[in-house]
Formats: sequence, C-alpha cells, structure tokens
Amino acid sequence: MSEIDALKDRLESLQAEALAAFAGAEDLNGLQGLRVHYLGKKGALTEVLKGVGKLAPADRPVIGKFVNQTKQALAVALDAVEAELAVKAKAARIEAERIDVTLSGRKSGSGALHPVQNGLDELTAIFSQMGFAVAEGPEIEDEFHNFDALNIPAEHPARAMHDTFFLKDLQGDDGQPMLLRTHTSPVQIRAMKRFLAESGEPPLAVVAPGRVYRCDYDVTHSPMFHQVEVFKVDRDVSLAHLKGVLQHFLSAYFEKEVAIRLRPHYFPFTEPSAEVDIGCVFCAGKGCRICKGSGWIEVLGSGMIHPNVLKSVGIDSEEFSGFAFGLGVERMVMLKKGIPDLRLFFENDVRFLSRMGVAK
Amino acid sequence: MKIPFSWLKKHVALTTTPNQIADDLVRLGHEVEGVETPRAAVKGVRVGLIESKIPHPDADKLSLLKVNIGEAEPLGIVCGAANMAEGDRVPVATIGASLPNGLKIKKGKIRGEVSFGMCCSESELGLAEDAAGLLILPADAPVGAEVGDYLELEEAVFDLSITPNRGDCMNVRGIARDLAADAGLPLADIDKSMIETNGDIAAPAVSVTAEQDCPVYMARSIQGITVADSPAWMQAALMMAGMRPINGIVDVLSYIMLDLGQPMHAFDADRLAGNISIRSARDGEDFAALDGRELKLNAGDLVVSDADSVIALGGIMGSEASGVTGATTNIVLESAFFRPARVSETRRIYAMVSEASMRFERGVDPAMVAIAMQRATAMMTELFGGSAGEITLCGDADTINSGRSVRCQVSRIATRLGVDIPVAADAVLTRMGFGVNRHEDRLDVAIPSFRHDVSIPEDISEEYARIIGFDAIPAVLPPLSTIRPDQQDRSIHDAVAGGFLQVVSYAFISSDEQRLFVAADGLDIALQNPISDAMSMMRRSPWPGLLSVARHNLNRQQSGVALVEQGRTYVQTVAGHDETNTMAWLMTGQTQQDQWHCAARQADFFDLKGALETWLSLRGLTGRFIADDAIQGLQAGQSAKILIGRTEAGRIGRVDGDIAAAFDIDAPVFVAEINLDKLPAGKQAKFVPLPEFPAVERDLVFLFDRNTSSDAILNAVKSGAGKLLTDARIFDLYAGKGVPEGKISLGIRFTLQDAKRTLTQEDSDAASSAIIAAMDKRFGASLRG
Repeated sequence: MSEIDALKDRLESLQAEALAAFAGAEDLNGLQGLRVHYLGKKGALTEVLKGVGKLAPADRPVIGKFVNQTKQALAVALDAVEAELAVKAKAARIEAERIDVTLSGRKSGSGALHPVQNGLDELTAIFSQMGFAVAEGPEIEDEFHNFDALNIPAEHPARAMHDTFFLKDLQGDDGQPMLLRTHTSPVQIRAMKRFLAESGEPPLAVVAPGRVYRCDYDVTHSPMFHQVEVFKVDRDVSLAHLKGVLQHFLSAYFEKEVAIRLRPHYFPFTEPSAEVDIGCVFCAGKGCRICKGSGWIEVLGSGMIHPNVLKSVGIDSEEFSGFAFGLGVERMVMLKKGIPDLRLFFENDVRFLSRMGVAK
Repeated sequence: MKIPFSWLKKHVALTTTPNQIADDLVRLGHEVEGVETPRAAVKGVRVGLIESKIPHPDADKLSLLKVNIGEAEPLGIVCGAANMAEGDRVPVATIGASLPNGLKIKKGKIRGEVSFGMCCSESELGLAEDAAGLLILPADAPVGAEVGDYLELEEAVFDLSITPNRGDCMNVRGIARDLAADAGLPLADIDKSMIETNGDIAAPAVSVTAEQDCPVYMARSIQGITVADSPAWMQAALMMAGMRPINGIVDVLSYIMLDLGQPMHAFDADRLAGNISIRSARDGEDFAALDGRELKLNAGDLVVSDADSVIALGGIMGSEASGVTGATTNIVLESAFFRPARVSETRRIYAMVSEASMRFERGVDPAMVAIAMQRATAMMTELFGGSAGEITLCGDADTINSGRSVRCQVSRIATRLGVDIPVAADAVLTRMGFGVNRHEDRLDVAIPSFRHDVSIPEDISEEYARIIGFDAIPAVLPPLSTIRPDQQDRSIHDAVAGGFLQVVSYAFISSDEQRLFVAADGLDIALQNPISDAMSMMRRSPWPGLLSVARHNLNRQQSGVALVEQGRTYVQTVAGHDETNTMAWLMTGQTQQDQWHCAARQADFFDLKGALETWLSLRGLTGRFIADDAIQGLQAGQSAKILIGRTEAGRIGRVDGDIAAAFDIDAPVFVAEINLDKLPAGKQAKFVPLPEFPAVERDLVFLFDRNTSSDAILNAVKSGAGKLLTDARIFDLYAGKGVPEGKISLGIRFTLQDAKRTLTQEDSDAASSAIIAAMDKRFGASLRG
C-alpha cells in the first residue's frame, strides 16, 4: 500500500469514527469536546496531517484536497448535530423553567382614595371641563359670610334650621361669633370678592368643594360632611342656564342620561329657588324603597342668586345675574355607588375603603 | 303641616284626586312629605235599619237586633250599646269588613247568640277618639249604602313642609288659594257675618305701649260661656291636622288658626286683674308659661300683662294662671299682629316654639286679625252660648303691608327665567291675590297684605316661574367661561399611589386626645355646642384621628394598616386663628400578609420614611430628616423633623408606646405629617442630555462609630469625592460578629461619570482615595479589612 493510500484509509476511518461519535453525543458540552477532539488544533485530524510531509510533493495536493473534504464533512455533521442538540436543550430548559402562572403576583400594598374623595374628584372634574374655576374657603367662618351676606339675617327662621356649631375661643370682626361653616355657600361671597378685586367684573364661574358642619348626628346625619358649591355670574344668566348645567352635570356624573325635575322651593340666598330631583337611579323612576315610591330622588338645592347676595359683594344685580347650587357629596356618592349608610364614610373601615376605592 | 283634603274642599271645589293635588302642590312649591289616607279602610260598613231590638236572654247589657241592610234577610246582631232604638239607622260592619282600629269582623257567638256583624260607634269608624254609643245616622240615610260613601269618609291628609317664606300657606285657606289660582277655580268667600254684640258687656281696657312690636291688638269680652267639648267634626278635623282637642274654646281658636292662619288667644276674664297692657318686659320679670316653664324675662321682650303680672309672651304663649279651663265662663279674646322679628328673637332666646309663634314669625295676614276675631266670636257663642261685647282695637291693620307694589320689566323676567311670560300667567297671579297691570313691557304688581315674602322683581319672577312651571323652562347650556384651568392638587393621589388608604376623620376630637400630641398652651379652639365630649375640640393634630381609625380596623381582624389623610388642623394665633392644610400618614403592623414569595413583616420607620421620600420627590422636593427627640407623643430616638430647604415642614416618628397602648395597639405605630401650606413649590424637571459615556461603580466598606449619622457620612462622601461623583448610597449595614463592639460596618457604593469621556482606572482610584481620606479625617473611620 502506498503512503498516500494508507493516509486516505486513515482519513476515511477517522471520518467514520468521528461521525459515529457525533451521532452519539448526548449534549452540547459533549459535542464541543468531540469537536476539539477531532477538529481542534491538536485534534485527530491534525495528527493525521502530520504524515502529509512524508508524501511525495506530487501527491500532496491530492491528499490535501481529500483532507479538506473530510474536514468539511465533519464540520457539516457537527453543525447538524449541534443544531439538533440545541433544540433539545432549549426544550429541556423550557420544561425546567415551567412556573405556576396562577400563583398571585408580587404586589406592593395597594392604596385607595376615600370614596368621598373620588366623588369630589369626579364632580370637580366635570365642572372644570365646563369652565368653572376651583375655589376653596375657610371652614371656620364668621356669621357675616355664613349668613348675613347670604341674605339670612339673624331673626330669619332659616338661620335656626342650620344647626350651627359655634366656636368658643374665637371672635371675628366687630366681635361677631365664629362658627363652623354650615354650607359651602360662603365661598360664593369670598370668591366673588376676590374675583372682583382681581378682574373688576363678571363673568365668573366657580366650583367650590369643601367640608361643612352641622350640629346634627344620627343615622342619616353626620356632624361633618362635604359639599360642592357651584355658581356662575354673568350678563343674562338665566334659570334655563341653571337647568342646562344641572342636566349636563347630573348626566355626566351618573354616566347616563338622567331625568331631572325642579321643584319651586325657598332658600334665602336664591330667588327663584328650586330643589332638584333626579329620576330614581335605582328603579329608573318606577318607584322603589329608596325613592319612597315617588320615582324621584332629591339631590340638591339651587336657584338664581338673590340680588341681596350680589349686592353684598358689590355686583350690580341690574346688569348681572347668576345661578348657584350646592350639593352633598356623600349623598351623590351613596346614590352612585349604592352605599346604604352615611356612617360608613366616617367609620373608615379598610375593607370598605379598599373595595370602594377601586376605580368604577 | 297636615291638611285634610275635606278641609281644603271647604275653600275650593277641587275636583281632582288627592294624588293629583299632591303633584300640583309640589309643582307650586309646597313639598308633600306624604299623603295619608286615614279612613280609606272603611269598606263593608253599611247603613242598617234596626227593625227589632230585644234584650239578650242571657246578658243584661246586651241586645239582640234584627238589622235590615238592604238584603233579603235582616242580620241578627248582638249589640252592647244602649243608645239605639227600633227605627234607628246605624253603621253596620258586615262580616269580612276591617275597621280603622284594625278590628276584622267575623261571625261570632256571644253568650249563646250568633252575631252576623257589628254596629259601630264613631270611634270604631275612626271619626272620634271615643264615643258613648252607636253612631245614629240621619233618618234619611239610604239603607244598605256603604257608610264610607254616604258620610264621605274617604279622606286624604297632605303632610306638607311649608317653606319659611310662605307664612301665608301655614293654613288651609292659603294652600287652597294657591290650588284654586292654579286650577282656575274660585276661592270660597269667608263667612264675615257680624254677630250681635251685647252693649252691657264692656270692651276690655287695653293699652299698647310697644306699638313697634304690636301694631295691631284687638280684644273682646265674651261672657256666660259654658265650656264644653268641641263638636265631633271639629275634633276629627283637628286630629287629622295633627292637633289634640283640648276644650271647646281652645279648639275653636286652633281651628280658626289652621283654617285662616290667624293665631288667637283666650284669657279667663275672671283670672285677670285690671287693664291689659302690651308692653316691653321689665328685666327679670317672672313669667309662668302654659307649658309649665318659669322664665325670667329680659327687658325688650314683648309681653301682654294685666295689672299684676305677665299673662302672655306676645305671640308665643299665654300664662298658666290666665288660661281657659273647663270651669271658665267669661273670657277675653285676643287677636293681634305681632312683629315677626320680635317673635322670632324671643322664641329663640327661650327656645319656646308654639303653633302661634311659628305663624307670627313668618308673618300673618294683618287683614285677617279682625276677620278671625269675628269668626271666633261667632263660632264660640253659637257652640257654647254667652254673649260678646264690643271690640277694643289698638292700631290700624290697614297700615301694615298695605299699598306695596313692584314695578318690573316683563322682558327682564323672561331673560332671567329663560322663557317667555305669557299673558295668561297674569290671570293666575291675579287669582293668587296680586294686582297685575301689564302695559307692554312694563309690569306693575300690587302685593297682597299676606305675602310678606314678595317685595322685589325677583320675587315676581319666582311667582311667574311657579305659574309657568319649572318643567316648562328649557335646559340651555350657558356660554363657556374662558378660565385658566387650575392644576389639580395631586397630594392625596400620590400618597394613595404609595399604597396608603385614604381616610376621612372628623375635625373635632376630645380634649384628652388634643393633649396627646400638643401641649396645653391656651391655643385650642373648642366648640361651644359640641355633639359630645369626644367631639368637643377642633383638632390641632391629625394623629389622634388616624389612631382611632387604626384601632377600629385592628379590632376587626386587620393585621396592619397604612393610612393617609388630607385635612385641616385648627389653632388660635395672634391674628385670630389658622387652618392648616395637612397630610398625615399612619403605618402599623403587618402592612403585607405572608405570601408565597415573602414573609409578612412589621412596618418600621423606614417604610414610612420611604413613602414620604417618594411622595416628596413626586412634588420635586427632597426632605432632610433631622433626628428630634423632643416631639410630643413620639418616641425619642425614632422621631425626626422634616426639613424642606430650611423650612420645617413636617415630622415623622414612632408613637409613644403608652399612647399606642391607649388606642389598644401593641405593634409599633409610625406617624408622619406634612404641612402643605409650608411646602415650597417643587422644582420643575428640566431637560438634561443623557450621558454618552459609561458610569463606573465602586464599593468601599468602612468601620464607623455606631452612632454616626449616615446622612453626615454621605454628605462627606459627596463633598470629598470630587466632581465626577454622581451618586453615593449605603448598600450594606452590619454590626455583630466580626465587627468590633461600638462599631458598625457600612458599605458605600458610589458612582462616577463624566459627560465628555470614558473614565479610567486612575479616575476611580483617585475618587476612592479621596473618599477614604475624607472618612478618616471626618469620622476617624477606616476601611474594613
């Protein structure tokens, strides 16, 4: 056997041996070992090539070509096996990394806004979108702002109906008694004064949310609760405008077209005055326990701002007119969310707060 | 105020149903709180003719009746009454009927005799409170007819809530006037017939010195009265209207007040001494009122007195001693107009409300003073005998509230209501008692004396709105005001996003709670009329409220709470008082329960501090937490004040263990508060180019003395490391095995970066050396080997 034939034989048997080894490889690590063993710098193929030097120069290209073919064949085989093993390895890894996706996620404690806050946010947002500026006022008020400027003089029967908390240690201007505001209406006076000082004359449109206080504490009364006062003063503001704003806002708040009904009423600070009912949101006006069978639920008091109120801040009631209304936030939230008991708001039970705090 | 339907119909011939009337009332501005039907239940009671009456064979007091109710056979009825005779017509409750008192009629056997129904008295039909015997019906009552239909027993009572401006509607006639005007029906005339007076009876001597408060006073003597119960129909009417019958004299006055709106008073003439005067009370004067109260009057109170004593607080209540009793034979009747403001003030001072005061303070019709006097005299003498003397009149009713008118423009009323004012509405206004004169756009309206509430064009506008109906006014959106919208305050929203539940607690707390976190310095604001001691002071700290909420929830199986509240605190100041907008937090117990991935953990100081730091950073602010052992109610060593810049804007810390225990809380409780009014506006985030070159991070671990403040250490790192330093923080904290006693091992990780180049080994070595040197110099700290 010539040198060259012997060499070819060795290469052929090496190729056969290597292909068998590749096929038997169990994982990518083992395969990498085989790649080094056969094709590495100090591998079996290199070892065989050492014999090439002994060949006749004329034979060298022949064997060279043969070697390259072997190398090529091994490389192709290696890649094929490697690809196959990689697929297997990935499948194994995926299986090993399988998790129980039904386990609860990692959460930080979730907070929640108080339902009254949610109500305040929703209400002020609606009025903001309608062009009303937000204003706030003090909770500790004097009699002037809470009563007199709102056309409720001292001997007025309405004044006695307010169940006012008076404060012991304070005195207002001219020694007048200080009290906790019984409604957000004093903000009308303060906001109008401030606004006029800034810009001279109407138009002005204000939404004033805040806490109010009444000396009355039972199942349906809380000594502290929240109101939103809304008013607008401009030329030719009309009762029709009041109705338009009420219709729009009540439908926006309850997220459906609600029927409204205005009933003539009496408030010292508006003339004409109206109490506003909505079609019962629980029975769609058919009559139920909540609306006492009437199909209507009283939601707020409203009216055209009394000329005496405008006069008290120096607005000419001949030239300007305005509407105003005030609503109880707790009541609105109770109606919207079906909360049966006012006291829940102030008990602050976290189970109630967490449940009611979620959006919608 | 309760108004029976039947009473209304005496003033106006209403043809609609009670429910329709209720709707009309609501539309006209009279809130209907309910419509009661006191006698709707009388069904199955029929007019029966007693054909025979024989004694019960086995009972002395019972009779056996044969009663014809229009059927083929008369009914056999056993009856216990004695006032009936053969030929009488009586109400017979047949088997199956239910009576207003709840009795259901069944076939019964009484002492061996079967009874097929029951003959009824007035009380059994709900017509009177008690009755002596059967109700004997008139001889022409149709036999067999339903008694309910025959007696028109079906009744409805409107329970109205009259608004305080409508004093004129605190009586049946006032309500009837509105309904009549609205329906276009005539209002019945009041019987104004004069009675014959007895010239032998002297008119009472009356002097009025308080003319301001009592512009009209009328008095008359009636002598020889025999006081008896008022008639059944009047008692029934009064009861339906919510008043208890007392005696004939009082009942007639109550009836007239409810009917016409004029409160009157009757004095027992024989219990009066000398002349009557209407005057201002003397300071400290005694008054023993009809309701049993004994008052010391103030100068200025309006009183009616005789020569000896005060016999009435004008328009509010008479005295016990001068009142009418069953034995009274001679009376002095009073009818007057008392000034509303005076009555209002006096009844408030003495908290003495009466049916009379409610009407006087809302304003009665001055024109009714004389009419009511005539009606009362007529009814009393007719019912109880006696004869009346001439009237003494002081003052002139025509001068009160008369001749008032308002001039307005129709177009302006239309603009302000947003609806046209039809001429037809003028007729309704006229029927309501106004004098209406419309000439093109000009409108002159004469105001009737009973409408104290109407004086300006807006009042006229309200009347038109009622007449036209609020439903007929369109809903129109006004033009949008152009305002710069306010930035919404996100304080509470950001706090809630940090995992806290927002609570709302009362602004008032007890004085004991006030003292937990605030020393007694005389700056509290207390309520004059608190609901209870527990709610007697305006809070100066939000923490007691939060602790109460925590207790409430921990008592209800919660293992921990994280709460936040936004509200005000209240304090006296030199200038008066201050309301501070405050955010307050409370954390206690396990704020997270055991989970598959982590164990439950008790909240600690750093949980709360982290929440505050995040909250501050969201407003573009950084707070410095300065240890402060002197915060009242917080535990020394775990409390700090919070500085924003140089402003102390809040505090944080662990609630003193004894205080927590007082709220039944065992776990450590952490609280914080931020004064929102002191919080400066945060910096607006400005754009900074993102770094192009990589940052380098290095760790150094030092041994410090145990009480070294990490804040001071990081500040020293920041000032000592050179200008490449962008961040430094504590990444490890350890004391214990391997660390000498009194020392603490602290790992500092710092970051270096340059905007213009990639940093080299030399850069980080230099910074490390600088930090090591600074730690040594400032704290004597050495690298941990």
